[in-house]
Amino acid sequence: MSSVTLEKIVKSYGPIDVVHGIDLTIEPKEFVVLVGPSGCGKSTTLRMIAGLEEISGGTVSIGGRVVNRIAPKDRDVAMVFQNYALYPHLNVAENIAFGLRIRKEPKSKIEASVNEVGGILGLTEYLERRPADLSGGQRQRVAMGRAIVRRPQVFLFDEPLSNLDAKLRTQMRAEIKRLHKRLGVTSVYVTHDQVEAMTLADRIVVMNDGRIEQIGTPMELFLNPANSFVAGFLGSPPMNQIRATVAEGPAGPVAQFGGQALPLAPLPDLQNGVGREVIVGIRPEFAAVATGDVTDQIKIDMDLIETLGSEALLHATLDGDPFVIRTDTLGKLGVLDSVTGFTVAPELIKVFDGQTGAALAGQERRA
Amino acid sequence: MSTEMDHGAPSTEELAVLAGEATRNRHLIRLERIGDHLRREWQLYVLLLPTIIWLLVFLYKPMYGLQIAFKDYSVFRGVANSPWIGFDHFQQLFGSDQFVRALKNTVVISFMSLIFGFPMPILLALMFNEILHQTFKKSAQTIVYLPHFISSVIIAGIVITAFSPSAGIVNTVLGWLGVESIYFLTKAEWFRPIFVGTTIWQEAGFQSIVYLAAIAGVSPTLYESAVVDGASRWQMMWKITVPSIMPTIIIMLIIRIGNMLEVSFEMIILLYQPATYETADVINTFIYRQGLQGGQYDFASAAGLFNAVVAFVLVMTANTISKRYSRTSLW
Repeated sequence: MSSVTLEKIVKSYGPIDVVHGIDLTIEPKEFVVLVGPSGCGKSTTLRMIAGLEEISGGTVSIGGRVVNRIAPKDRDVAMVFQNYALYPHLNVAENIAFGLRIRKEPKSKIEASVNEVGGILGLTEYLERRPADLSGGQRQRVAMGRAIVRRPQVFLFDEPLSNLDAKLRTQMRAEIKRLHKRLGVTSVYVTHDQVEAMTLADRIVVMNDGRIEQIGTPMELFLNPANSFVAGFLGSPPMNQIRATVAEGPAGPVAQFGGQALPLAPLPDLQNGVGREVIVGIRPEFAAVATGDVTDQIKIDMDLIETLGSEALLHATLDGDPFVIRTDTLGKLGVLDSVTGFTVAPELIKVFDGQTGAALAGQERRA
Repeated sequence: MSTEMDHGAPSTEELAVLAGEATRNRHLIRLERIGDHLRREWQLYVLLLPTIIWLLVFLYKPMYGLQIAFKDYSVFRGVANSPWIGFDHFQQLFGSDQFVRALKNTVVISFMSLIFGFPMPILLALMFNEILHQTFKKSAQTIVYLPHFISSVIIAGIVITAFSPSAGIVNTVLGWLGVESIYFLTKAEWFRPIFVGTTIWQEAGFQSIVYLAAIAGVSPTLYESAVVDGASRWQMMWKITVPSIMPTIIIMLIIRIGNMLEVSFEMIILLYQPATYETADVINTFIYRQGLQGGQYDFASAAGLFNAVVAFVLVMTANTISKRYSRTSLW
């Protein structure tokens, strides 16, 4: 399997740059997910790797070979599209065989490959059906079948699950993961769904506004977001972020906001940092609910409780901004109505610079 | 016991009354629903009204006059009072050499138009779709659409001038090549190619719009996926574009087959002359000559009715075949 390397990749539409000099190396057999909000350039980047978009600057290499001027068909990549891109006039077997037929592979080989792929994806009994007669999940499987039948060096997935309902998405996510384990093909996967990114990726590339914000394993990004954007993008619900000013507390630095003070870890960047504007980030699962009798709690105004079964989401406001707490329900359900605030260990709090949004140094955690 | 049962179960008469009442109720409910629907959507029906009136006045009301095909029609006695004569006109029709010739010409010209004229707009649409330069594409489309908007009389004038033996461009070019002038429009063997070529030139561009619209509806990701799979533009055209617009092609083919016998009447009238009747006279021109010029309205109606019946059978057959083999049909 091949590596994929992007060096200073730029994409411009006229005078407007939509991808600003991206550098990224994807190792052989790695599953990398490009994630970011709509319009961040992730699909454009994927399409540049596929050869469907011209590259305005920089180089794309697949397996060490620069492919900027090489036609998509000669890049040895296969792509799975969001809307499946199945040919409505061909049945499942013909759809899967399309790429092989175009390449004029021998009939016997095509038939064997289609049957094998049909077996891997559980499509054997649907091979004679047309796409219109299949469910969304089956269509998605056919789209994947069309990609894997060619045994390419690289798989490219462009939001392949976004047309499926939530249940099917979870199911297909697991199938993609299993397939990657089995085939071990280098894969680049684009999504705006951070749950997909977290569950599928060996490494996640978080993109925003045509730039890479951070690259890392899912847990690295979850625990050590490089900036407030990544912190706010990954995690469900996302990290709570409170604008605060650093002050000196009785036992070290504190973040002051709306007349309340939250103790912070004694980070090197906070020494002599009194008066500094910061963003305080608290993961919903790291905040512990507190009722009236708990001292040193940060007061919140409760809004509503969403019960999810074993856990619940508490929606509240803090200093006028929304604040969410994820908590267990078992044995606690009775007290959730009387929650008045929360406590959080200083080492679980992330502190970002108030101006740049970058995480302050010295707060890295290991999974 | 049995007496009790007789009292409990309704008799046949009672059942019939109950069934009648149920049917009446169902009718009332349906009428009420239609009334509600009309009250809610009356604006749409007002919009539809002019078309319905047009259809009734110009297509259905004249059907009343079709009966003269089976009558010895006299203008003075009128349609209703003319005596019935059965299939006499039809017998006379099939005994007429002129009609048989017109029928043969209609079929031959129709088939030539179908074979050469039907694929042309599809090919044009496919070619337009492959042009990447937008200005060139738009200019080419305008040039090809233009003849449709020119009156048939002018088109015929252009054709007559172009094929003129003295100053026509065709004969001038032939002259350069050392070929003697040919009196194209007086030669029976040249009429059909000239006619078919002219109608293709006049209509193919405009008809290509339907196919261009169908091509515009093909998802671009199908092409992107094919590009990644390694398809060339040629393969994409034949393996994606053409199959994707096949339902439109089939619908257009059914319509075309339905109109097959409606050979462009005015163009033939404008281009033919007695010297070319042998290959140019079609059913419509035959009807025109017999009915309007010869005053044989009943005989001409029989020819027209025959034409319509054949067209009806053709469209039904084409639709049934298409439904069976391609899952696409008009109804």
